[in-house]
Amino acid sequence: MKSQITDVLGLSVYTDRAVFVGDVDDVVIDLDRKTIRALALGNLNTDIIDIKGYKGLQIPFRMIRSIGDVILVRHMPGLFKQKAKA
Amino acid sequence: MVNTFSRSLSRKRIMSNDGMVIGTLKNILVDLESGQVVDLIVRPDPTFDVTGYRVDGDRLLIPFEAVKDIKDYIVVDRFLSKQ
Repeated sequence: MKSQITDVLGLSVYTDRAVFVGDVDDVVIDLDRKTIRALALGNLNTDIIDIKGYKGLQIPFRMIRSIGDVILVRHMPGLFKQKAKA
Repeated sequence: MVNTFSRSLSRKRIMSNDGMVIGTLKNILVDLESGQVVDLIVRPDPTFDVTGYRVDGDRLLIPFEAVKDIKDYIVVDRFLSKQ
């Protein structure tokens, strides 16, 4: 399915455990392989990601499960901080 | 390996490798399942002759395969860009 790249910008990104990660700010294109390399996220959920002074986060394209009205990425226990259990 | 942000490409000028300015980049078509970048959507210059190219309304479709390099201009191969 072909989509325009502007359709992806601004979409919300969630993990497959339904945790909000951030919004898509930009798409990183690999010019040699002619593929999407990563999504650059802004407006990050600081509860699960500590970016320590960096402005955003890039999610590699292979981590993405599906793209529709929102974007789902694989939940990686090492990458995202676990929510404190109540 | 060269990576570039899609927002830095918007409104860049497209030039073929024989030195002709084709137009300005409007959008990029991607396949979201495979991650492949498929086409450039270009608004052609009024003086540019679009015969032989794929046209969709007033937009020109140039396969991303034809892209040679991207610096100040997006340079495309003039033969590959007509497929």
